[in-house]
Amino acid sequence: MISAERVTGAARTRVMRSPWTWVVGASVLLAALPFLLHLDGIAHGDWLQFLGRFHPTLLHLPIGLIVLVPILEIAGARRPALREAADFVLRAALVLALPTFALGYMLAYGAGDTGTTVTRHMWGAVALCIGLMLCILLRPAWVGRQQAFAYPALLSASLLALLWTGHQGGSITHGGDYLTHYMPGPVRVLFPFSGPKGGSSGSFFALHIHPVLDAKCVACHGSGSAKAGLRLDSYDDLMRGGKDGAVIVPGKPQASLLLARVTLQPGDPHFMPAEGRTPLTSDEISWIRAWVRAGATATSPNIPGVSIAGDQAEPPPKPVGDYSGLVPEIQQMQRGLGAKLVPLSAKASDGLILRTVDMSSSFGDAQLAQFEKFAPYIVEAELARTAVTDASFDTLKRFTHLRALHLEGTSITGSNLAKLSGMTQLTYLNLSGTKVTSQSVAPLRKMSNLRHLYLFNTPAEPVENTARSTP
Amino acid sequence: MKQHPLCTDCERELDVTNLPIPTGLKQEWSAVETRRQFLGRSGKVLGWAALASLFGEAALRGSAFAADTKSPVTSPGRNNLGLPHFAPKAKRAIYLFMSGGPPQIDLLDYKPNLASQYNKDIPDSVRGNQQLTGMTAGQSRFPIAPSHWGFKQYGRTGTWVSDLLPYTAKMVDDLTIIKSTNTDAINHEPAIMFMNTGNMNPGKPCLGSWLAYGLGSMNDNLPTFIVLQTKTNPKENNQPVSSRLWSSGFLSSEYAGVGLRSGGDPVLYLADPDGIDREVRRRMLDAVEEINRQTQAEVGDPETNARIAQYEMAFRMQASVPELTDLSKEPQSTWDLYGPDAKQPGSFAYNCLLARRMAERGVRFTQIYKRGWDVHGDVVGVLPTLCQETDRACYALVTDLKRRGLLDDTLVVWAGEFGRTVYSQGGLSADNYGRDHHPRCFTTWMVGGGVRPGITYGETDDYSYNVVKDPVHARNFNATILACLGIDHNRLTYDFQGLDQRLTGPQPAYVIKGLLA
Repeated sequence: MISAERVTGAARTRVMRSPWTWVVGASVLLAALPFLLHLDGIAHGDWLQFLGRFHPTLLHLPIGLIVLVPILEIAGARRPALREAADFVLRAALVLALPTFALGYMLAYGAGDTGTTVTRHMWGAVALCIGLMLCILLRPAWVGRQQAFAYPALLSASLLALLWTGHQGGSITHGGDYLTHYMPGPVRVLFPFSGPKGGSSGSFFALHIHPVLDAKCVACHGSGSAKAGLRLDSYDDLMRGGKDGAVIVPGKPQASLLLARVTLQPGDPHFMPAEGRTPLTSDEISWIRAWVRAGATATSPNIPGVSIAGDQAEPPPKPVGDYSGLVPEIQQMQRGLGAKLVPLSAKASDGLILRTVDMSSSFGDAQLAQFEKFAPYIVEAELARTAVTDASFDTLKRFTHLRALHLEGTSITGSNLAKLSGMTQLTYLNLSGTKVTSQSVAPLRKMSNLRHLYLFNTPAEPVENTARSTP
Repeated sequence: MKQHPLCTDCERELDVTNLPIPTGLKQEWSAVETRRQFLGRSGKVLGWAALASLFGEAALRGSAFAADTKSPVTSPGRNNLGLPHFAPKAKRAIYLFMSGGPPQIDLLDYKPNLASQYNKDIPDSVRGNQQLTGMTAGQSRFPIAPSHWGFKQYGRTGTWVSDLLPYTAKMVDDLTIIKSTNTDAINHEPAIMFMNTGNMNPGKPCLGSWLAYGLGSMNDNLPTFIVLQTKTNPKENNQPVSSRLWSSGFLSSEYAGVGLRSGGDPVLYLADPDGIDREVRRRMLDAVEEINRQTQAEVGDPETNARIAQYEMAFRMQASVPELTDLSKEPQSTWDLYGPDAKQPGSFAYNCLLARRMAERGVRFTQIYKRGWDVHGDVVGVLPTLCQETDRACYALVTDLKRRGLLDDTLVVWAGEFGRTVYSQGGLSADNYGRDHHPRCFTTWMVGGGVRPGITYGETDDYSYNVVKDPVHARNFNATILACLGIDHNRLTYDFQGLDQRLTGPQPAYVIKGLLA
């Protein structure tokens, strides 16, 4: 310490000033680069792109080193040797960060990337590099206890810049909602702003086209980065097209550039998605084609001829309660009556089916009444061709968990059908071959969940139904 | 001298009952178990005892429904396997088996580019190293035979269908057409075995038996698994169809398919002879059952139990089968739909109508065999007949199930054992050709509970020779059928010969998710 005090003032000034000059010069150069070489959205040369693609290879190295610095500084409080290493790690991080920045810039400039995310990523990197250089300069003062706060503050700021820059980079590669896309419901509540955007929800575009574009295309053609001036993150942008013109021609899949590019051979230089990103599946392509052929509207709810699994997905059935205590009783019922209560599946909460098929003619209202105590667990009642009558509806209305009710071939007339209106879970009702009339089935129209109603061979049968059944 | 049923030792034939020894000793002998029985049983008992102690009372009670151990014989619908594994979309299935191998190129796999390649040789690059049958291996060339019939687009889906299938064309929006079905075998017997049992060698249980074993009966008065054979048309090239296709293999024989005859009485000797009423029959069966139970207690052969169950089933079928096959109460709309063929017992249309009636009555699995699709020659002459016999009936069955609300929980499958070649077998002329067996791709369809309506799955190349997209191997085809019925094909197993046997065999098989609704 004493010998250091004796260093002449002039020499000290020379030693201190020269690194400051370097840092300020480098910072100005970094900050000016985006103005000198403007990211103009035009691709510039293969060499730049070739080198630029090593950006993702290199970038994780400086990240690791930068994160190591605060760890070493904190651990160094106990073991001073570690703190000595921090200076080296900090310098090594800068040595790697600068070429990483250069490669990243080559990638963006070479490939013609533009967009807010790219710009943010770039400025984040500039800030990070400057931050690192300042950290190196200010650290000796902190070690020498001359400046207690400047270095820690700057290091923290650099770490924040790193986090932010890294996130922007990730968004460029994977898409903006990459982190939050699979956020579970309870967590999502905490972040009300995140999550899939609605749009005209329920339309074919919103349900099937937009998610495909979002997952496969928006990383390069979105708000973050709009290559070739094309954005696919909203319906309007999609229809506007890019610098090569419209990519969707309503009604004409063959003329739609988007379809042309995704259906090229995967090795083709114009194949999309480019750069080895996951291609569209054949299903996804066929949905887009069908959607374009049908006029490519934002609102139409479905496309004729396209049936997508899960499209009409019925809500998962409500589990029934635990009936294990009743099992001995159920078995006794079967021995006595012959009608069976069979589990729908190995999962007890899927409920029971009331099955009468092998003793149907002797199963009447009285027998049905005996099953009433199991009603909360019965999800399907097969009463086809049994002797149940209209009087059974007083019992049936208590079977509130029924999802399917078979009454085909019974003698019911339907006068009591309104009593079923409390069955909110009923999706299937078969009244074929009964005497029900169009008046008596009218109350069923109010049951919104009832999607499968069969009236074949009844007075209520719609006329067109009969016409269709005979070729 | 008859051997003891369980004695496999040929040198020591023993029949205690014939030996000159006191009666008491004979009785004592019959009470003694054989060594094999003793070892087999004691091993199992120890295992079960260990398991029971591990699981405590829950194992004994069962999670959903425990086995009804008291009367395993009289309730074929017992559900002690804990199936279905998950909530099924289909409760039952109807399998329309087109034996012989329908030519996909002339029916549903439209190849518009072939017309311009008439009589050109199929490129070697397409044929690859495909094994040929003995029928065409000697041919010097493999000239391309475009389909003789035109194709049109139908339905909202715009599916291409041959002019031979005007009725099938009407329901394409409901069908799940699979163009990429493929199999391992190139000849009828191994191929039809493979489709039905998942193995080319006989001896494995077929799909229907696995379903009967796994899911049990819905109606105790009818067999769980019924097979209907269509009367053959002598003009067609009929390959034999034998009962080993609906055999239960190593499963108990009560799970085997019950064949109904295509003419006369559907089940022979089902009606009681004159002078024997139902009461007498019942008493007789009770006595036979008592004797069989004694035999079972003595010998311990599980096949005795199967026999008791079959006698009981036959007794119940005396009442249920006449009702099933009595079509006199069918409304006129039925005949309008199925056409006049349906009035001929044994016709494909008649069988389709029966299949619908069985579906209504809770038969778990009905398989209809239609032979004659083996069109090695004279495709132009024979194929229209085959289509005329089946097209309308298939449509009628699907439509009938649909309008009666049965298609929601019934899976209908249409498949043969393989497809046919694009090149002509024998001479190719401007107006006729033949087609040889082709295992690499063939077209099948499904409709109903569990499958996605209105799609065409998989693609073949321009020659309908190789699958180019989304192949569906026969194993995966079967796994997918099981999935529709709520069964995980990997978990429906039966321990036999040291292997957990399953329908899809030991090789990995996958449910084709793209086919499922």
